[in-house]
Amino acid sequence: MKLELGKIYIRDVQFAEKTYVEDGTLYVCKEEIEKLVLEDERLTSARVELARPGESVRISPVKDVIEPRVKVEGNGAVFPGVIGKVGQVGEGRTHALVGATVITCGKIVGFQEGVIDMSGSTAKYTPFSQTNNVCVVIEPADGLETHDYEAAGRMAGLKTAVYVAEAAKNLVPDEIVTYETKPLLEQIAQYPDLPKIGYVHMLQSQGLLHDTYYYGVDAKKFIPTLMYPTEIMDGAIVSGNCVAPCDKVTTYHHLNNPVIEDLYQHHGKDLNFVGVILTNENVFLADKERHSDMVAKLAKYLGLDGLLITEEGYGNPDTDLMMNCKKVTQAGVKVVIITDEFPGRDGKSYSLADAVPEADTMVSCGQGNLIVHFPPMDKLIGTMDYVESQIGGYAGCMNEDGSFDAELQIIIASTIANGFNKLTARTY
Amino acid sequence: MKSIMVTNNVRCLEKWEGKLQIDYNEEWTYLDVLLAARDYIHRGYFLLTHPLAGSVKPNQTPFKSIILSEESLEGAEDFRDLTLIEESIEAYHKFMGNRALPEWSEKSAEDFRTIDLSLMEGVMANPIMNRR
Repeated sequence: MKLELGKIYIRDVQFAEKTYVEDGTLYVCKEEIEKLVLEDERLTSARVELARPGESVRISPVKDVIEPRVKVEGNGAVFPGVIGKVGQVGEGRTHALVGATVITCGKIVGFQEGVIDMSGSTAKYTPFSQTNNVCVVIEPADGLETHDYEAAGRMAGLKTAVYVAEAAKNLVPDEIVTYETKPLLEQIAQYPDLPKIGYVHMLQSQGLLHDTYYYGVDAKKFIPTLMYPTEIMDGAIVSGNCVAPCDKVTTYHHLNNPVIEDLYQHHGKDLNFVGVILTNENVFLADKERHSDMVAKLAKYLGLDGLLITEEGYGNPDTDLMMNCKKVTQAGVKVVIITDEFPGRDGKSYSLADAVPEADTMVSCGQGNLIVHFPPMDKLIGTMDYVESQIGGYAGCMNEDGSFDAELQIIIASTIANGFNKLTARTY
Repeated sequence: MKSIMVTNNVRCLEKWEGKLQIDYNEEWTYLDVLLAARDYIHRGYFLLTHPLAGSVKPNQTPFKSIILSEESLEGAEDFRDLTLIEESIEAYHKFMGNRALPEWSEKSAEDFRTIDLSLMEGVMANPIMNRR
């Protein structure tokens, strides 16, 4: 598959009578977005607010973050099987509003969590302090069941992103990047002397607020499969995961998967990036056994020399990570794991929930237990009701001036285990 | 296949009582559920679900459910389950050492029960859980 990604760089976002892009500014029509979101009778209120880099704005609690993208040429539509029709994606041309996002906020559950600061000392821990964000704050109908509210919130964000992205359809991109992966035998033949490297992308798949979708299929219901890396750039994978803010992979992070991006940059130079194996993180141990066997089988079947593995979450997924690492290594394929860590406040406790001897090569995405100080902000988008109870917060952590202290794990994507962030660990 | 769910989540009891053997105690803490599961492992039961299922951390949610069985569905090595439950207990203490469980409102507590129930629903939907 060959995909041209046309990047339109956005440097500002403003409200206007209609939605369009001009000279690097995204103009959005608040009323049209609110009307679109409220077509879903499960939601009774949708308020659109804007947050720009450097502003004294805090956004909480965050559900999902999405980059607006639209297909311009080639089969299918963005977010296939969820918003768009289910046809295959990953080829042709897609336009992206780079530097803009849609962010959904709302308390799906009483303890809902996730903070983004647009300025101040904690802004650096999330990429969304540097993007121009169209925030959609939602409220549910009375008594709406939690599963329905989650689904409604997910759709609200994706629908809004698709609506906003239409503004990019007929624009001339500022930059076009071409990504290509050939069918297996042709790909291997293209760079016969370079090591064949694959990427195992583990998807969160445990249940309510912990789900991911591939072409609209619930990841907990699938078995490991192959994916062309370009499919993810068209939104083939969509997040339904909104717990554990620091390492939840937002839809934005799926669209902009950094391992895929970096593997393409090395592709043809010092490695041959052959493709992606998708797998899940089910709670049922028999599923872990079956799926790790299948991941190792696919790795060997593809003739890989090595692969990278990323996961999403902590605890249960660490077992999948280790099982995948062990079995792939035993199949004769070298493995590097990429993950974040929870070593306790002093940084000295064992930081993963599981371990195998084969996990001897790891890239750390930093640790989520460090306490950081959040300065007061002038404006809040969303609600701060539950900061003390949010994961990472604690009783008495809020001060009268609106500042608070909490663990790093309260910030969206601060330690995201696909390596998108800027934290790591070094050994001495 | 004789399976048992150890839980402190009344929603799981309501859903599967009569369909699955349930060892339920509403006074149990999250740790008590882990310890009860460990007792079953010592008595020869096998874990069917991961003790740390769910991204809500041990110092965040009060509720935990774990399913075990007299028969294993995998070819796991000896002591795998004991190691897994002990590592989970250690992880519990690590998180609780950072910060205690908040005093949740009934609404939030109910939300945590809903999430825990959902994690178990995914497992119980497996045909092998209904094998006769």
